[in-house]
Amino acid sequence: MKQFKHTSLSALALFLGLAFAAPLPALAFDDEESAEEAEEEDGDKWFAVVDGDVFTGTGAVLRGATVLAKNGVIEEIGYDLYLPEGTQVLRVPGQRVYPGLVALSATSRISRGMFASRDEGEIDELARAEAEIEGTPESPETFDWLAAAYDPTLPGSSAPEDEEGAVGRRPVRMDAEDGYDPFNPYLILALATGITTAEQGDSALKLKRGSIDGVGMTEKYISSFAWSNSSPSSKESTRAKFKSASDYLREHRKWEERGDKEIPEPDKKGVDANALKVLRGETWARFSSNDRSELLGIARLAQQYKFRPVIYGAREGWTVADELGRAGAYIVVTPRSRADKDERYVRPGGSSIENAAKLHAAGATVTVVPASTSIDLSGIAGRDLLHLPIEAGFAVRGGMSEQAALEAITINPARIMGVDHRVGSLEVGKDCDLIVTDGDVLHYETFVQWAVVAGEIAYDKQEEIYFAHIRPRSDAVDPLEVVGEEPATEDEAPAEPDADDAEEGDDAEEGDDAEEGDDAEEGDDPEAGDDASGDDATGGR
Amino acid sequence: MLCALTLAACAHVSVTPEPASELVLHVGKILTVDAENRVVNRGYLHVRDGKIVAIATTDAGFDVGPGAERIERPDLWAFPGMVDLHCHISTNGFSADLNDMNFPLNPDLRSQPGIRVGHAAMRRACASGVTTAFVIPGSGTSISGFGTVLKFKTDPEGRYADTVVRDPGGVKVAQNFNPERRAGDLGLTQAGLAWNLESLNDRVARQVASGSGTGDPLLANLEAVHRGELPVLIHCASAEGVANTVRMWKLRYGTQCVISHGSWDGHYAAAFAAEHGVPVNHGPRVINHTSMRREGKIQGGAAAYVAAGVPLFSLNTDSPIVPQEELFVQGTVSARYGADAETMLRALTTHPAQSFQLGDRVGSLAVGLDADIVLFTGDPLDPRSAVELVLIDGEVQYDRSQGQWF
Amino acid sequence: MISSFLLFSLLVAAPAPAPAQGIVAIRVGRAESIASGTLEHAVILVEGNTITAIGEDLPIEPGIPILDRPDWVVTPGLVNCYSRLGLTSRAGNQFEPHVLASQELTEVNSALGQVLELGVTTLGLVPPGAGITGQAVAIRTKGSKPADLVLQDRAFLALSLETNSSSKKALRRGFEGVDDYQGKVDKERAKFDKKNDSKKSKSKSKDKDEDKDKDEFKPPTPDEKVKPFLDVREGRLSALVNIRKASDWLHLRDVISEEKDMRYHLRCPLSDDIDLYEVKDAIGELALHFVTTPTITQQVGTRRERNLPAELTTAGAKLVFVPASDSVRSHETYVKEVAYLVSKGLDAEAAYYGLTLGPATVLGVEDRVGSLEVGKHANLVLWNGDPFEPGTEIQAVMLEGAWVHEEDGATE
Repeated sequence: MKQFKHTSLSALALFLGLAFAAPLPALAFDDEESAEEAEEEDGDKWFAVVDGDVFTGTGAVLRGATVLAKNGVIEEIGYDLYLPEGTQVLRVPGQRVYPGLVALSATSRISRGMFASRDEGEIDELARAEAEIEGTPESPETFDWLAAAYDPTLPGSSAPEDEEGAVGRRPVRMDAEDGYDPFNPYLILALATGITTAEQGDSALKLKRGSIDGVGMTEKYISSFAWSNSSPSSKESTRAKFKSASDYLREHRKWEERGDKEIPEPDKKGVDANALKVLRGETWARFSSNDRSELLGIARLAQQYKFRPVIYGAREGWTVADELGRAGAYIVVTPRSRADKDERYVRPGGSSIENAAKLHAAGATVTVVPASTSIDLSGIAGRDLLHLPIEAGFAVRGGMSEQAALEAITINPARIMGVDHRVGSLEVGKDCDLIVTDGDVLHYETFVQWAVVAGEIAYDKQEEIYFAHIRPRSDAVDPLEVVGEEPATEDEAPAEPDADDAEEGDDAEEGDDAEEGDDAEEGDDPEAGDDASGDDATGGR
Repeated sequence: MLCALTLAACAHVSVTPEPASELVLHVGKILTVDAENRVVNRGYLHVRDGKIVAIATTDAGFDVGPGAERIERPDLWAFPGMVDLHCHISTNGFSADLNDMNFPLNPDLRSQPGIRVGHAAMRRACASGVTTAFVIPGSGTSISGFGTVLKFKTDPEGRYADTVVRDPGGVKVAQNFNPERRAGDLGLTQAGLAWNLESLNDRVARQVASGSGTGDPLLANLEAVHRGELPVLIHCASAEGVANTVRMWKLRYGTQCVISHGSWDGHYAAAFAAEHGVPVNHGPRVINHTSMRREGKIQGGAAAYVAAGVPLFSLNTDSPIVPQEELFVQGTVSARYGADAETMLRALTTHPAQSFQLGDRVGSLAVGLDADIVLFTGDPLDPRSAVELVLIDGEVQYDRSQGQWF
Repeated sequence: MISSFLLFSLLVAAPAPAPAQGIVAIRVGRAESIASGTLEHAVILVEGNTITAIGEDLPIEPGIPILDRPDWVVTPGLVNCYSRLGLTSRAGNQFEPHVLASQELTEVNSALGQVLELGVTTLGLVPPGAGITGQAVAIRTKGSKPADLVLQDRAFLALSLETNSSSKKALRRGFEGVDDYQGKVDKERAKFDKKNDSKKSKSKSKDKDEDKDKDEFKPPTPDEKVKPFLDVREGRLSALVNIRKASDWLHLRDVISEEKDMRYHLRCPLSDDIDLYEVKDAIGELALHFVTTPTITQQVGTRRERNLPAELTTAGAKLVFVPASDSVRSHETYVKEVAYLVSKGLDAEAAYYGLTLGPATVLGVEDRVGSLEVGKHANLVLWNGDPFEPGTEIQAVMLEGAWVHEEDGATE
């Protein structure tokens, strides 16, 4: 597995279980080597999360195991690992370790949002009242912040993307890496949710904190195609594109087999370049549709031309799940997406809470996104990216297994972005992007305690202002230490929830003995404080 | 495919079964949410004629007649049907049928003519475990009218009368943040809004106190409010809105009042509401982040109100602002943002019922109360827990095995 | 400090306004010299337009007129290095590195006189617009005609760098133009050398004493838009980079990572929710000049106060203060705002530097103005007390040896 990122496309195709060409873009392979070489000059950077219950995301769970990373890449996962001198250790007994979550379709706020500099109390009261009377769940301040987050000089960015119902609608194209703000407050909130990789525009970004180096992982891995009942010509033109590309490939193959240099190479003229890329497995074909007959059409088109479509929305997918499964479709759904059946038709339709589960059962690869793929602090809670795991919980409600639900917010979206060789699960050779939680990641009371990106702590709940006050973590001993260094013996004053200066004051030497005493106590009651509210009525997690 | 078709088929066909006049349920856990907040493990519920007649860990003592139906679901948790005091889904989904904007005060309007029973939104709500709601007009005017307390029965061909718990159920008042008049008449400011409300209510209160009454049949319901016979639900937001509501409806008129919303930084006035014993029905906004006063932290409204000691704290959806079936999600996120889960279970059931003079009918699983029972696969606050069965008045309204509606 | 900028000035040090007659000695309670710190009982000798002596309790030759103000404080004339005072043209986002703000100086605006009364003796004027806007000019705030004002043209290249690709592309484009140009130069040189070599070999074979023929290689003239970036790359022209938040700094570093000889300053007006504290150490490590408004900021998302100027100073950055706007009112209050920052923990010495020598350095005129030093322009502000104490007022202003403003009887 360690060599995984160097494997060939065909090996990847096997891994993905594809019957035909794996549409994994070659450009997914970052020049990681150069980054590593640079690090090497100052010596290797080791990082370890120790004693946590490691949920690798592949199904395996290793209780009380260690994840060891070298220069941001997972070196080993297991027990009794040798930790080299200088390894930064995060000790998390009784807590869980998961792969960082992956957010598809995330709005630009994640990587370049800004809080309004004016007091939000000054929001136009009229607009606010209108939101109330009109039933617009979005507060006006949302739009305000979004506008602030947009760069009007960028082409095509004049209209902010629709915050609601991001599924099926695409954020505007942007040069995500150049727009990356590694200090923005929404980024911290995304990390607080456990999201360590986000789709921004058509790019997969690693949500690094305080650094812009190596943030971009891929760009332009996907090409959009239209398929709409309201525009029959869109179907015709899409079909024609794939037909021409398919014909060309057949001709080309024949020409190659013949090996006759006298005969000219088949002409690419008139062949749609994007469709050709899709059929060659260099990019994904993306469709957006919620309608049953459209979905059916897309599934059949994909089967005819032998590619795996990526379909956003798919609200009525449950009615044609078998066909979508047969097409090997990647489906991006919001389990709570809601639309009543059109009563004019006898055929099944409308939304179903079972959508995600049925698509998964039928063999489609399901990714879950919330109704709003932004971060919404206007007060209505539970429907935005801050609640991505809760949305996945609704897939479970509809009958999906918990493992599949976890995959729907980790490895599956990573696959769509072509970065599953780097993120989406905890495996040797993959990036050390992980989260430490105080419980089941799909449970509503669970908070991310630490988010680690590229082997560095990018978020610590108690160090940030946003959630530190909610069920505060009481670290009996400092969870952070460096192998080979005397542990810091400053009294663990509860950290000021202030992201500033993490001054390392590890010179103090007295009081070692007292610390050991604390250690023992800690071992007895590892979960003390976490489940203070554990009561009979709610039962266990 | 087959099961998909089955599901769709049942979605628009009446599922009301033959009324079972007697029923025994055997479940894994009964969350009674009653006065003692008992949890009965591996318990039995005995239902007769729509009421709960017994709850015990064994059915040995039950006086069960012949022909009684038995429901054996020892894997499930029984929970009271949930209660939402702030519901606008009178017709299906969104509707303009909410605000009559001509007059600022409409104490003679009722939502009843606009209510359609058993529509899709109500069925979905029922399938999520919401069984009782106060269906009310909007907040476009200071007094928008009297709402109806009804149950979300799922038969689209059912009768309105069979769903009604109380009509009129109470009055809807809007204190601030919406009823502001913008057509040039009085009531653009907080002062004007207060004057509008007081000009009418002072008169009614005085005449009720004198024992004579107003003699105006159009004010009869409002008189009942001032006699304490009907509750009043007051739409308000922000700290001053919450405080003004307490001052007017509790201290000035002494009504059975419930603060609704209390959004944004309304929780800064929580201690004042608690001091005067005014219940708060919070939502649809349940977090306050940096609004009004900037603390930076993300503050759960429920956590703040409960910590301040507000009695009978409850949650609402303001449906369709938050979909009616997601009432429990308001509890989910409130628990996430710092409120304790057990209190949130009460905030979805017995607290709203009690604060609206409905505690003798719904909100708990207790002997003598309506048999509005929801069987969950686990913790009702966890979105992963599905609702398997919903009973209203002892009748099955929703059965997941016939297709999952939510 | 080598004032290599002079080489590139069109309008090198225009004549100063009418010099004061003779000599005057100014004796005050305290002088903030900037160059050599605070001097008690300071004596400053001004001859013509220049300071010729400064020190504590210097003996004064008999016959030299003395202005004796034992309770007063003298500071160098204030320098505002980033302004559009009196300029009216407007522009949008642009790529105009060759534009000179000095070309806009068509009149002596009366606003100059107003800020001069407020102690501002040197002003940096920048071109309009956003993006890569052109080059600033340093002027004195009094003169009879526009040309008299100019102290230093091409003071710095003003540009902005934001966290987005269009902004980064614009700056990259600037340096790519230089890459292209330098590539062309190399090619031409190679061609030239080859030609020369062949000539040499030819001449060798023919006659040996044809050395006269040998030409100097003349590199092609760079495009007017390339020239400023060439100068920036080679350190002859400094850049002043406008940023708006912490991430802009990272993206700037990303774009200029190859520009080893580039000299630059940062500018960022402070607002409530500014996150620059996130990169203060990196900025401080490079000891950059940081042009900003004297503003107390807040921790993002909160109302918690942060004295960002003080934090940046502690981290090692050199703060340079400018008024929040070009209004006369802003010039009147900005010293008071700096004083407030001092009361909230900003180092006073750094504060004085940020009002005088700091901005002078940004403008590249630190060899002439910004501190009280022998040989420098006699630009002085006389205060009737500690400038950072409330209630202290300006009593007199001297520009290059001449009293240009005084309260009644202040200089008698």
